[in-house]
Amino acid sequence: MASLTEPQVDRRRRGPTPRPRPGAARTLGRLLPLAPAVALLVVFLVGPILYSLYGSLTNRSMSGPGAADPQFIGLDNYTQLFSDGEFWTSVWLTVLFVGASAVIGQNGMGMALALLLRAASSPVRALVGTVVVGAWVLPEIVAAFAAYAFFSGDGTLNIVLGWFGLDGPAWLFTFPMLAVILANVWRGTAFSMMVYAAALNEVPPEITEAAELDGAQGWQQFAYITLPMIRRAVSTNLMLITLQTLGVFTLIWVMTGGGPGVQTSTLPVLAYQEAFKFMQVGYGTAIATMTLLVGALFSVLYIKVLKPEVD
Amino acid sequence: MQVNNGHVRTAVAIVTAASLFALAACGSSSGESGAEASGGEDTITVAYQKTATFTQMDDLMQTAKAEFEAANSGVTVELMPIEAEQDQYFTRLALMNGSAETAPDVIYEDTFQIRSDAAAGFLAPIDDYVEEWDDWDQYLDTAKQAGLGDDGQLYGVSTGTDTRGLYYHKDIFEAAGLPTEWEPETWEDVLEAARAIKESAPDVTPMALYTGQAQGEATSMQGFEMLLYGTGDQLYDTEEQKWVTGSQGFVDALTFYDTVYSEELGLPLELALDAAVGGRVATELLPQGQVGIALDGSWLPGNWISGDNPWPEWEEKIGFAPMPTQEGQEPGATSMSGGWTLAVGSQAEDPQQAFDFIATALNRENSLTYYTTAGQIAVRADIAEDPEYLNYNPSFEFFSSLVDVTNFRPATPDYSQISANIPVATESVATGSATPEEAAAAYDAGLVQIVGEDQTTEAP
Amino acid sequence: MVGTITPTAVAPDPRVATSVASPRKDRSKLLASVVLASIGVVFLVPMVWIVLAAFNPAATVSVALPSDPTLDNFTQVMTWETSFRPLWNSTVLSFGTASLTVVAATLAAYPLSRFQLRYRKPFMYSILFGTCLPITAMMVPVYALFVSLSLLDSIGGTILFLTASSLPMAIWMTKNFMDSVPVSLEEAAWTDGASSMTALRRIVVPLMRPGLSVVFIFVFTTTWGNFFVPFVLLFDTANQPAAVAIFNFFGQYGTVAYGRLAAFSILYATPVLVLYVLVQRLSGSSFAMAGAVKG
Repeated sequence: MASLTEPQVDRRRRGPTPRPRPGAARTLGRLLPLAPAVALLVVFLVGPILYSLYGSLTNRSMSGPGAADPQFIGLDNYTQLFSDGEFWTSVWLTVLFVGASAVIGQNGMGMALALLLRAASSPVRALVGTVVVGAWVLPEIVAAFAAYAFFSGDGTLNIVLGWFGLDGPAWLFTFPMLAVILANVWRGTAFSMMVYAAALNEVPPEITEAAELDGAQGWQQFAYITLPMIRRAVSTNLMLITLQTLGVFTLIWVMTGGGPGVQTSTLPVLAYQEAFKFMQVGYGTAIATMTLLVGALFSVLYIKVLKPEVD
Repeated sequence: MQVNNGHVRTAVAIVTAASLFALAACGSSSGESGAEASGGEDTITVAYQKTATFTQMDDLMQTAKAEFEAANSGVTVELMPIEAEQDQYFTRLALMNGSAETAPDVIYEDTFQIRSDAAAGFLAPIDDYVEEWDDWDQYLDTAKQAGLGDDGQLYGVSTGTDTRGLYYHKDIFEAAGLPTEWEPETWEDVLEAARAIKESAPDVTPMALYTGQAQGEATSMQGFEMLLYGTGDQLYDTEEQKWVTGSQGFVDALTFYDTVYSEELGLPLELALDAAVGGRVATELLPQGQVGIALDGSWLPGNWISGDNPWPEWEEKIGFAPMPTQEGQEPGATSMSGGWTLAVGSQAEDPQQAFDFIATALNRENSLTYYTTAGQIAVRADIAEDPEYLNYNPSFEFFSSLVDVTNFRPATPDYSQISANIPVATESVATGSATPEEAAAAYDAGLVQIVGEDQTTEAP
Repeated sequence: MVGTITPTAVAPDPRVATSVASPRKDRSKLLASVVLASIGVVFLVPMVWIVLAAFNPAATVSVALPSDPTLDNFTQVMTWETSFRPLWNSTVLSFGTASLTVVAATLAAYPLSRFQLRYRKPFMYSILFGTCLPITAMMVPVYALFVSLSLLDSIGGTILFLTASSLPMAIWMTKNFMDSVPVSLEEAAWTDGASSMTALRRIVVPLMRPGLSVVFIFVFTTTWGNFFVPFVLLFDTANQPAAVAIFNFFGQYGTVAYGRLAAFSILYATPVLVLYVLVQRLSGSSFAMAGAVKG
């Protein structure tokens, strides 16, 4: 999907024709196509976002005195958040969840599937592709129940393990984090698969053929030739799936309710409890802002490590 | 590349389209939204919940609308069913109430939310209106309490309530040598029965008790508070208007949990802490005879009579007993009630008219239909004694009898935050990670953090 | 070069086969197929519950073979009000949003991809992060905004909002796809006197078709599953999409109509799956492009 920047294209795009710096009118004309998108973003999102960020500095709630008369409390929400042990547990769980299910799970599985799809026979390709995408397009609430029914103590997984004579534990109780991670991998891999399938298609076969003739083995080809060429796709994909995974809520909520205890209470679960159950919108927004920061940190990490040419 | 006509034309096209669209959108709906939601002189807007398994309020509203419009020509009742489950329903209501243009005139309001919403200024007091309403005399005293706000004014008329008690499986009791007409008088009686079941049928769960955080308010209400309110202590001192810390009753209730789980009288932990356990007990475990005693709410038989998982044999197999107080002290039994009300929105242009609609919706006939079809425990004396009501569902009589000893939650605006700490306590005791004293201390600490030291008082 | 997204109904990719002897290729193809198939089975298994529950009149959350399989759940849910109207609303919302998003994103990506703009990086990052604040945190101001714009309970207004919230990711993805289309072709067009819009329309977009279809599917799917935005912005039940209507199956006191829920979800997931398969077949490949660039 996301493209690679082939050396030839790069040179060409950087402009063989050094044109004179465009005048103001021309720049404005060039920026004009951005207008519809920018207009939509400004009208519908900028205002609410700023207002919400401001809201995190108040004790606004949906009901009760905080609704009739919200008070400006400065950074009180944030200080309260930082001094709450549960918050830091939640941050750690979120990092774990994103790292394991997105960075490793969806990313790795997506790449593996993309590679396998290229190498497999056509009917298998079509079927498996559809199944994997099927898990992705299922409404989240249904996927959540299906995952619950799968990992539950007497659910499908344990039934299957039983056929092999294994006695599976109550996954949702004993290994809750593992269960929600696997469920999220199951659900979201399709996206990475599609991205990498498209990206791999753009790697010119001549280069891999040349490497093969030089004696490079399959995995060497992959690691030293293919992977660097799709670096940009990897970085973009990681960023997008990280942001998506940061927002995963329903899956965890239905499977474990954030428990047992707080063992699976990631930041979205915490934010939901505050904003919905307790109607503390100001505090909930503070948590959401923190979640965004976690996402930004991940992205900075990707960029530093992968060094794609994001221009 | 030139700045040529192409650019200019594109720009003009985009801007024109955008402005036309904006004008059209504004123009088309502005005319309606004003009169719609806030209800002009001749329109009453009614917001209520409706789902695939809960259509009874919708039926009631349709009937009431027809009756009211027939009796009041020139008045239109606009029904606004909100198809959402609990939390989202509250959110949607809060959003609607937050804007004067969209605030409804009549609201299907949970007793749980009344104090909060009244404090937020969303509801109009109806004391004057109920005074002049003949039917009001029929309402039981406890029901009249249900709709009170923090300021002591009345904000809602109860549409029925629910109570909680002990269900027991007669076959399992018989096999364990227990009486099939069971009448426990103390907590110890309940525990003894559970122990007897464990001995006679090790594969059966003696007692299903709501324990987990994942079950949220169900644990607080059907589980913990059913015990606490039987000790004589309370969560909230209504006279002093302060929350209670250091309560011995709190520790005793947690000790009950400790006993149940350490003696393995309860559901296996992975099931007990499961979010969906309530439904499973009602639709699978009790009918399949895998649970001996269940402390649960009055709505269970409704599921067995009709719905997706009916169980016709329940009338022979299931017995009912009130949850006893700790040592059998007065009043001997205890229960908790929730329930919903119909309230008048503070932005209603004609609150009297809005109330009149409520009065129509909750007249005797409509109330009877609603109570029976929606499995509600009657809050009106005339209906509570009506044979038609009692015969509809054989469990009604029992659960209605509990209304005399029932308690309501202290539904202050911060109740939900405070109540969220109760399942934390029960779960930590059940998993053995804290003793009852430690868990109670943790709850006290959390309570102080939420409401501040000055809003708490030491238990006597 | 722009190739197929996921090779499905296309003939075996000739680029995969190398100049090596056939038996080795066949064997690795078989191995890949077997591994792929087993992964496919693993992905399929959790969905078993849905199918079982859909045909079970007394479905619960546990996995069980229906003792009395019927089509009752389906017949019960397949009414205009319960299923078809919400599905139609979902289609309108998703199709409208996806189309509008693709158009706006393509337009926006063009200058971002082709021109040296000073604030390109900050712009790209800020729209991605700035707009990632979840709607649950923004619901109060968004609701108030819509009240003041008189756009509440309007499908058009909701589409506009959904477009706005889909734009960041769409712009990112579209820009990346566009970057891989070499500028040389447009430069040729420019020297011939074509405007940039014409170049965009006639040259770039047709070459980006597979990429654009990925963006379209992505936006369509995420909008199809979006519950919160329509829940906040649409009132009348007649306007609600399926993502909201699905919560209909959750009743009071924690009861869930699992059987009907499962049946409904099968109906709900099918259109998107069909769309995915269709787009795969229609997107085709542009090997002609490879030829044009090689020289």
